[in-house]
Amino acid sequence: MSDNDSQNIDLQQEAGAKFHRGSALSIFGSDRWEDLVALVCALLIAFGVYILVG
Amino acid sequence: MVYTKKHPALLIMGVLLILLAGFTNAGILDGIIAYLKIGGKTGEITNLGYVFGCISVVIGAWHMWGKHEEGNVDYYLSTVAGGMFILLIAMIVTWFAAPFVAVLSKSLGPVMADKYLHDVLGLNYVVLGILAGIITVNVFRIPAWAENGVRLSRLGLKTGVILLGTLYSLAELAHLGKLSVVMIGFFVLGSVGLVLFIGRRKQIPNSMGGVLSAGMGVCGVSATVAAAPVVQAKPTEIAYTIGTILIWGVGCMFIFPVIGHLLGLGHIQFGAWAGTGILNSAQVAGAALAYQPNGIETLKVAEIFNITRVLFLPIIVLWLAVWYVRREESVAGTQVNVGRVVFEKFPLFVLGFILMFALSSTGIFAPAQHYKGKYFDNNIGESKLLTAEETALLSSEASKVQSPAQAAALGRLIEGRKVANIDDDATLRGLNNAKVLSSDANKVLKKAHGAVYQTAKMVKKFRQWITWLFAFGLTGLGMQITGAAMRQAGGQPLVIGGIVGTIKAVLSLIVILLFVSETI
Repeated sequence: MSDNDSQNIDLQQEAGAKFHRGSALSIFGSDRWEDLVALVCALLIAFGVYILVG
Repeated sequence: MVYTKKHPALLIMGVLLILLAGFTNAGILDGIIAYLKIGGKTGEITNLGYVFGCISVVIGAWHMWGKHEEGNVDYYLSTVAGGMFILLIAMIVTWFAAPFVAVLSKSLGPVMADKYLHDVLGLNYVVLGILAGIITVNVFRIPAWAENGVRLSRLGLKTGVILLGTLYSLAELAHLGKLSVVMIGFFVLGSVGLVLFIGRRKQIPNSMGGVLSAGMGVCGVSATVAAAPVVQAKPTEIAYTIGTILIWGVGCMFIFPVIGHLLGLGHIQFGAWAGTGILNSAQVAGAALAYQPNGIETLKVAEIFNITRVLFLPIIVLWLAVWYVRREESVAGTQVNVGRVVFEKFPLFVLGFILMFALSSTGIFAPAQHYKGKYFDNNIGESKLLTAEETALLSSEASKVQSPAQAAALGRLIEGRKVANIDDDATLRGLNNAKVLSSDANKVLKKAHGAVYQTAKMVKKFRQWITWLFAFGLTGLGMQITGAAMRQAGGQPLVIGGIVGTIKAVLSLIVILLFVSETI
């Protein structure tokens, strides 16, 4: 893993913060998992807007 | 480890938000709201204030007095404090700081066509949010209770990118000219390739080169945000890219019209050039209006070229995913299986963007021909038709109109008391911009335009969501940018961005001079 890779790690120190789960940029353990949560959030928002505004 | 901190911060933020909502609702802040001209946002301030205030109070009370044990509940609920910290700053920026900057800027008067200083410099909630985050982390540092939740910002950005798909529709994009698709495709892909090439020669990190290439190639903030996770870009690199695009755009806004006039470019030629060479949408519009202040033909062409870029976003993300893994794994000396990379690395949130785009194209959120929620529909009720006094005013000033096309469109408007078709709408907007008629008559033209140019309620709501998700994500992103990280990144990205931007502007100008005439 290169120095530029900031994902998929168990422990990273950046700007003085330590996290034992996720990475310095995300609370999720992998990009795919974060993408999935974002997709679910977006679909929930879209469904909510469709029902409440439509 | 237990992540939740026994700290009253979340509780206090919740109380503050409820107070803000209550004061707004009670009219106590009316003076400030009137000064900042944010009367249209009082409902939003009240609703969001109450909702997030109550959530913060409940979870804040649990943070303070609840029993915390290591596990998922502790881990995920501990992020709420940091998330609310970002949101509170984003709210201050969006509701108060950005409008305040706009008020100050407008007090100086327009600096270019009808654009004010904050439009030209791009000082909106995006830039101010990043700046607020940078100031927070570098001046005050992130409090320990917020550290875990600050990492939610990227989730907000990804969700925002997915929802961006609701703003576009296939029917609208289908109207794009072949030339705009070919030209934009060539220059988007060429710019990405050039940034990657120069970045490699200059030995900047792959993540920096990747995110800069998307920003310089496609269009501004959205593309940068969409490509960043694919190339594992750091917050500093994302901020650098956005900064490079905006700085480049500011220069272009002033230089492009001057060169256009020197070369005697036609409206279509200049619109095509601005839409290709300038990256930020607002700055494209600014340059086009500066070039043709008395009409919107240039603006329309520039917008068409600007829209076309979105077609290439998924392609660029896929390219960068493969490129990044190849570059990284070549260092490690391993073979890359492109199929595996596409399957494993292609971001689901970009597929989500395509899914939303497909749903939007079906007409589920707005009539299928909409663009960013706006569409032409002149099936309007009696109450929206022009009154007899208004048509009389237009008739009395009709002789001032010299252009036959504008005179004909105005005649049809007077006769039908509403805009006859979408072409007339564009022509009458040009007449309005030209300020040939009196200000009262121009107000009538604006009313006629507003009556037939509809905004889909659902897409309007999606825009609000996207604004908030981006404000949240970019403020949080700013909080991850330290002074040391910016010094480490150095000035190389700005230099590379400038070189590629200049090459793209020059080459696109040559192509336009050779191949673009007055029609597309």
